[in-house]
Amino acid sequence: MAITRIAPGVVKVERTPLSLSDRLYLPQVIKGMLITLRHLLKNLFNIKGLPIISYPEVKRVYSERFRGRHILTTREDGTTRCVACFMCSTACPAECITIEAGEDERTREKFPARYDIDLLRCIFCGYCVDACPEDAIYMTRDYEMAIDTRARAVVGLRDLVVPPNFPVGPMGWRPYYGEMKKQGWAGGTGLGQPIRTAPFEDDSKPNPDVYRGDQ
Amino acid sequence: MSTLTKFSAIPYTGPAPTNREPYVPANVAQTDARGEEIAAKISNNALQQERGQDMPSFSVDRNAIVDVLTSLRNSGFTIPLDLFGVDYPRRSGGRFDVVYQLYSPQANERVRLKVRVAEDESIPSSVGVFKGYDWYERETFDMFGVKFEGHPNLRRILCHEMFQGHALRKDYDPAQRWLLTEQGVAKLLPKIDPKFENVDTDFERVTLNLGPSHPATHGTLRIVVTLDGETIIGADTEIGYLHRCFEKMAETHTYQQVIPFTDRLNYCSAIINNVGYCMTIEKMLGIEAPARAQHIRLMLSEFMRISDHIICIGTNLVDMGALTNFWYLFQPREEILGLVESCCGARLLPTYTRVGGMAVDAPADFLANSQRLVNMLPKFIDDVEKLIMKNRIFLDRVIGVCPISQEDALSYGFTGPCLRATGVPYDVRKASPYLGYETYDWDVPIADGGDTYARFLVRLEEMRQSLRILQQAIDRGLPPGPVIVDNPYVALPPKERVYNEMESLIYHFKLIMHGIQPPVGEAYFQVEGGNGELGFYVVSDGTKNPYRVRVRPPCFPIFEAYPQMITGQTIPDAIAGLGSLNIIAGELDH
Repeated sequence: MAITRIAPGVVKVERTPLSLSDRLYLPQVIKGMLITLRHLLKNLFNIKGLPIISYPEVKRVYSERFRGRHILTTREDGTTRCVACFMCSTACPAECITIEAGEDERTREKFPARYDIDLLRCIFCGYCVDACPEDAIYMTRDYEMAIDTRARAVVGLRDLVVPPNFPVGPMGWRPYYGEMKKQGWAGGTGLGQPIRTAPFEDDSKPNPDVYRGDQ
Repeated sequence: MSTLTKFSAIPYTGPAPTNREPYVPANVAQTDARGEEIAAKISNNALQQERGQDMPSFSVDRNAIVDVLTSLRNSGFTIPLDLFGVDYPRRSGGRFDVVYQLYSPQANERVRLKVRVAEDESIPSSVGVFKGYDWYERETFDMFGVKFEGHPNLRRILCHEMFQGHALRKDYDPAQRWLLTEQGVAKLLPKIDPKFENVDTDFERVTLNLGPSHPATHGTLRIVVTLDGETIIGADTEIGYLHRCFEKMAETHTYQQVIPFTDRLNYCSAIINNVGYCMTIEKMLGIEAPARAQHIRLMLSEFMRISDHIICIGTNLVDMGALTNFWYLFQPREEILGLVESCCGARLLPTYTRVGGMAVDAPADFLANSQRLVNMLPKFIDDVEKLIMKNRIFLDRVIGVCPISQEDALSYGFTGPCLRATGVPYDVRKASPYLGYETYDWDVPIADGGDTYARFLVRLEEMRQSLRILQQAIDRGLPPGPVIVDNPYVALPPKERVYNEMESLIYHFKLIMHGIQPPVGEAYFQVEGGNGELGFYVVSDGTKNPYRVRVRPPCFPIFEAYPQMITGQTIPDAIAGLGSLNIIAGELDH
């Protein structure tokens, strides 16, 4: 590949005529095989340095921005942070989120009575995370979502909601990085507000409709 | 964080969007003056200038379109960039606008022609002027039902032949489903090239299907060839296997929601598509992404271009039996995709840009990782060059195989490496620089011959030129500042503000629910994709959904020329040529 400049900003890649050894075919083929042999020997004595991941024994580590399966975060009392505002389902280009809103009879708070994500429709663009005003939906680094029936691809609250002490480690795409910052209670726009220890005066009779994780 | 009070007003003091006002492009007076000059040169009564557009624009009477196109071609507008329809069902005096866009490589300017046509009227076909308009006219017929008189083969191209109605018409329900079967579909039989028609050989003529399940066609292209012995004497192609109605889907989604769909056009270089689409909307809104965002866009675009060429060269060599290069080159590709993943969380379909900037800032080790990649890549390119460029087996299979002349390439509307391999130094990054490409020191590589070998040479050199750009970009470093514009009508406010302030929360809700609303008008913007000029033409009616999004896929005219390129060649040559064209079906079938 000889390169000549023919105009400012334009170079021409010339076709180099073949030399005698090139036309003889064998010398160049042997040269090419030597390159292959060099790599073979190099790799043979450096098996650990091979650019190979032996999945599933070894799993690839993705960055903390990875857009994998979703989770719904919870407040300290175990209720979902989601207030069923439908922002994520509006922002979703694939229309894969179905929400039905319920109302907590004591606090008059909206909460999701049903929250389904069809993972077969989902295109993992992260728009739901960007759209959430309540810090409620995150994505994890979990990319192993193989299923055997279509019905199982629809995940609901039972699969999505994680406990309040869910570690930051496996989390992927989220509005900010580091420890979870959003605290406070339902409806509160209270970044940095003091955390209440008891959510309601009467906590003995929790609303049966509010999903509180598998307790 | 501590400086925020709970009810502080957001500091945005710029204008609110004036989405009901018409769109006014930049330096419109200059464009209009240039339009007058072109109109005077053409001097056709059927030509009427349209002012206030982003390029010299004319409306043409439908009966005069062939004359106008001929005289434009003779005055230098030799590349037919695009032909498509726009539907205005409630407009009187012709429902459809058929838009022609041409480019002049000598004068480096574009021109747009619009023909109004009613539902029962037809337009004279311009296939005789530009060969490339054959498929574009078929597509317009398929999508809008506009008839082109004198077209040699006016049938559907992207939709199935049994499809009912015309999908991009505004009164076509996007939820309409059809059960499509093979019953009643005419068999595809290639027309035999006149050169071979009366040649008497001892062989029986055989018609053969190459694809869609042939390994070299990747399940998405169908080529029917008629063979005389080993020589292909006639070929025809069928596309549309990956048609996903990108343009119709864009009409039913908001401007932001289209960004993930653009990933799926050329999925080998998805960030370039993101950049092209977002810059089109930014052009309509009259905003510019911050310098830091532009720098990240440029660097990732160049990495994506390298990755695109790696796939093209790698898979092409696999099709020819050289498996080593494919595995070997996929290591740098993995590293490039890893870099993209560290920026935006996905490898293949990044959705990294937003209108007005980027979704998030690049990670802290972005420049260090880029430098590592830039240091590592030349060795791979050199090794692959050493492996193949002196290998007689390879050379015998590529030199003079599937050639296309410069004249034909222009007439078909080639852009990108395939056009540069015929000796035309047209590159959007040089011709109409964006993202600051004009400030970098790099060259456009060209080659002679237009054959598979020339395309190899151009792609290899282009990867090295991209590395040159990248090294300069790394040396300059990322400019400080935000990565997205501070305009709550375009970009979502920062999350801390949304959690804390009423104002920002309202802006956040408004932007998700009501979307970005660009001013009424139309704009075209082009970037250099992996395969050539990738253009987006967007019509806005002031609402949150685009009225029309047209993508100009660079593969489309390139694959259109393929039957002509393989006629007279043998089947193995056709496979070698197909790989070197880098046909990406996601883009070809939009």
